[in-house]
Amino acid sequence: ADALSNLSSPGVIGGVMIILGEDYGEGASVIQERSYAFAMKSSIWLLDPRPDLPSIVHLVEKGFELSEATHAPVMLELRIRACHVTGEFVAKDNRRAVHSGLDPIAGPPRFDYGKLAHPPVTFLQERRKIEERLPAAQAFIREHKLNEMIPGDLADIGIVVVGGLTNSVLRALHRLDLADIFGTSRIPIYVLNVAYPLVPDEVKEFCAGKRAVLVVEEGHPDYIEQTINVELRRADLQTKVFGKSCLPHAGEYTSEVLLNGIASFLAGAGPSGIDAAAIEARARGLTKHKPAADKAVGALPPRQPTFCTGCPERPVFSAIKLAQREVGPTHISADIGCHAFATFAPFSLGNSILGYGMSLASAAAVGPNMAKRPISVMGDGGFWHNGVITGVASNLFNKGDGVLIIMQNGYTSATGLQYMPSSKASRSGAPPGMDVEATLRSLGVTWLRKIRSYSVATMAATLKDALRTAERGLKVIIADGECQLARQRRVRADEARMLERGERVVRMRYGVDDEICTGDHSCIRLSGCPSLTVKPNPDPLRTDPVASVVESCVGCGLCGEVAHAAVLCPSFYRAEIIRNANAWDRAMHRIRQAFIGWLSTARAVP
Amino acid sequence: MTASQPVRPITILIAALGGEGGGVLTNWLISAAAKLGFPVQSTSIPGVAQRTGATTYYIEMLPVSGGGSRPVFALTPGIGDIDLFVASELMEAARAVSSGFVTADRTVTIASLHRAYVMAEKTAMSDGRLDPERLIQAVGDNSRQSILFDMDRAARESGAMINAVMLGAIAGSGRLPIPLDAFENAIREDGKAVGNNLRGFQAGLELVRNGIAATPDSPNKRHHPSSSALAAMEREIAAMPALAREVVIEGARRLVAYQDVRYVRLYLDRLNAMRQADERAGAEGRLLREVARHLAVRMSFEDVIRVAQAKIDSSRMARIREEMKIAPDQPFAVVEFLKPGIEEICSVLPPVLARPILGLAQRRQWLGNVYWGMEIKSTSILGFLRFWFLAKLRRFRPSSYRFHEEQAAIESWLTLITDAAKHSPELALEITECARLIKGYGDTHKRGQTNYQMIETRVIRPAIAGTLDRARAVDAIASARTAALVDPEGEGLANCLAAIEQQTAMRVAAE
Repeated sequence: ADALSNLSSPGVIGGVMIILGEDYGEGASVIQERSYAFAMKSSIWLLDPRPDLPSIVHLVEKGFELSEATHAPVMLELRIRACHVTGEFVAKDNRRAVHSGLDPIAGPPRFDYGKLAHPPVTFLQERRKIEERLPAAQAFIREHKLNEMIPGDLADIGIVVVGGLTNSVLRALHRLDLADIFGTSRIPIYVLNVAYPLVPDEVKEFCAGKRAVLVVEEGHPDYIEQTINVELRRADLQTKVFGKSCLPHAGEYTSEVLLNGIASFLAGAGPSGIDAAAIEARARGLTKHKPAADKAVGALPPRQPTFCTGCPERPVFSAIKLAQREVGPTHISADIGCHAFATFAPFSLGNSILGYGMSLASAAAVGPNMAKRPISVMGDGGFWHNGVITGVASNLFNKGDGVLIIMQNGYTSATGLQYMPSSKASRSGAPPGMDVEATLRSLGVTWLRKIRSYSVATMAATLKDALRTAERGLKVIIADGECQLARQRRVRADEARMLERGERVVRMRYGVDDEICTGDHSCIRLSGCPSLTVKPNPDPLRTDPVASVVESCVGCGLCGEVAHAAVLCPSFYRAEIIRNANAWDRAMHRIRQAFIGWLSTARAVP
Repeated sequence: MTASQPVRPITILIAALGGEGGGVLTNWLISAAAKLGFPVQSTSIPGVAQRTGATTYYIEMLPVSGGGSRPVFALTPGIGDIDLFVASELMEAARAVSSGFVTADRTVTIASLHRAYVMAEKTAMSDGRLDPERLIQAVGDNSRQSILFDMDRAARESGAMINAVMLGAIAGSGRLPIPLDAFENAIREDGKAVGNNLRGFQAGLELVRNGIAATPDSPNKRHHPSSSALAAMEREIAAMPALAREVVIEGARRLVAYQDVRYVRLYLDRLNAMRQADERAGAEGRLLREVARHLAVRMSFEDVIRVAQAKIDSSRMARIREEMKIAPDQPFAVVEFLKPGIEEICSVLPPVLARPILGLAQRRQWLGNVYWGMEIKSTSILGFLRFWFLAKLRRFRPSSYRFHEEQAAIESWLTLITDAAKHSPELALEITECARLIKGYGDTHKRGQTNYQMIETRVIRPAIAGTLDRARAVDAIASARTAALVDPEGEGLANCLAAIEQQTAMRVAAE
């Protein structure tokens, strides 16, 4: 927020656009941010384009122009589905940039104290934001028709909607027979492709002569509804404003929400020319089947995301579970990253998630008040993002205690596999050369262990040691294991090449003896691997399903490690299958098979 | 609005699991529709769902080619607004039904019948799987037309990913105004694994077009073969009540492979006693059958000898070859993970030796702490021999410590059942069923035994003694058994038993 204010206060010369991802519903992996508040407090214009490609492309171009014309940065907000929409738009010709790495700017701009975010010029800048840039933006929006007016014959009512929700509103109207699929609507619609700032003149023009309007904006508080109410008051217009009285304060405006919201608006506004009661009944009819369908299906357990097959982070949580069996439960500060999946079943580990790289910092307040040392979990991405300073440096500086587990998998951004300072490679190929362990040592961490993350027993023993030792101070365990997704991409290609060349390749895969497994599923409760599942029991006298390893197994070895570390059962085995076997392999295999065949007599097992 | 233009777009909702190629399937559909000049749009919720979570893709298309006004497409699927719903898994199909997307007036549903179990189903201590019939029924009842088959199997058999089979099924359903070759061209133009994907496409297409023949999965139950040594006893079993006969035969065959004919004799003697209890109680063979089932399992308890027997069983390697797709002459190795502790070793010793060792281990706190972790290659000569020698200990099993312990526990359980049968066959059946709790190895086995003993002391014995109302005890035992399988920590069972005792105390007080 500091950077936003310091960017917008002096203002910009060229166009600056910040792209935002914002989501109120099913796809959100973070808390709803309400960028609107940030736009208002920093005087940054907020674009919320209609979510079809021509409109988004147009607003990007116009947004840069708006920024340049008003010397203010702009933000372009996209909801998750708009980020992943496929469609078509007519592209314009590329234009070569005036300045670039190929055509650099000769020298720095002339020193101008007025362009610094530093007192006393900030007070003048504050005035400029309100007195010059805001009116300039409103004029630009109006002149370039960035907001749209969709006419309609039901002229005594209207809908004011932010651009991002326009398609959803039009579809709801279509389903209520109030619009067609080409966007022709019977109710006039004012589309706010620029959500902030509002243009008071446009608002007044749209609302004049209407008995009521509905404001459709997601989230809380109802910033736009409030502003419109104020503008109408100032203009002394008596148009009634509906908004959060018909639509919910929280959650995504899905088709069902909008159908019911619009219907209840019509019932409340009572426009002339349509039968509001009939429309309300129609909206109810479109969704009335849902309770019965829900009941027919019955309760369904959720299907939550989890660690990939063979993930190096899963074994660490198996080890934490095993260590806690002996040491007892400890406070665990979780963090942002794949490792946050440990908060789901079967691990259900983690007491707080504060932010990316914030786990150790958040444990600072917990540690001194807990009988047992807290554990903080952090990825290497989170470590570099801020954990190294807010977490490690702060803990050492404040003479803290506690255990920090750093997942060193070599990449950041989950399955995005982006490089970061301690990656083994970078976009340019050469490794960036920074190292988590060396950094920790240079900061002064003395209790430091680096453990192969798949070594469950060693990890559990180290954890117990870290939790029990009398030595005070920060104890760091680096759980070392490359992201399996990245590894598989590399290994699969390598193996395919080796197989093609006729070279010997050994494939490892794990399996469960269904004759020996009794179907208790302890192994699954300690692993949760997607490849480890259940299948019907082959035993005619038993019914509980047995564990089974499916073909997607990558042979990471966790099954065997867990079976050993937790003393589970003798069901697990590892198959090592030799492809392009050499003569020695074949000869030995034949000898062994012959011997075993000679010793075994066909005998059934109970 | 002109009359020639369609009133609404075709809406398609796809439910898939992370890693199944739902995005690729969406792209194939988009590219096929775009080639025909149809306005088309897709949206999705990517991100964390790609790791085995559930995700959906949504497509809208207007089946009119060339020019005209631009349609306004929605980005989110609407409740009751779906024309074609495709799901790669049965529970996800049902999830869309329960959310209201699938409706009987409009939606054609194409879904796979196979199940990818979710965590809650997999981690259950017994059987947490959902009833698939209920899901199938709900999907069928709420769709205008439902096309259901095992896409996972079709994918495996054709060597393709499931998304190609889904595309074939969509093409075969005829719901979209897109000709077959447009779908195939979309796969070709994509250029990745074209051969496999076309085979998968063809498999899906043919299954839908030619009608899905009901080819049930091969029965997975593995029965024990008959043994000539059992001929006389099998004749004896033939005289048992029809309801129990099949189970008793299976039990007898299991136990002759596990131990010997003498052991089967013991099994039948125990059952003959139970048969009388069954008749007296009027259970019509039900009690006999259930006791026969659980008794055979309990008598073939999982000691190290049995594990060794199973590991070197010749049919096992054939199964591993099949499961791992190992060619007939392809060299391979199998490594077993074993971690015996003092108890496992003592279990094969005679009681006179085992008891003092276990006593010492208990005092020194070795139990639960001292184990020998081993990885044994059972396909190597020395590794095989280790199991072979262990399996040979079978003839000494009847004099082992574990054998004595198990027989004592079995006798005690049988006595409880016989006593309970005097009062009520239902009570006896519930006690029989409690044998389910005792299974597994090491900690699992110990936990099961402890849970069983808690239920025995606090519910079963009071019920037989009459201090707990017997009619209520039937339900109480069942709920305690369920509670014991809720969580491994035993909280569920503790709460359940406390509730049962509290109710009893209140009734006593009320009287």
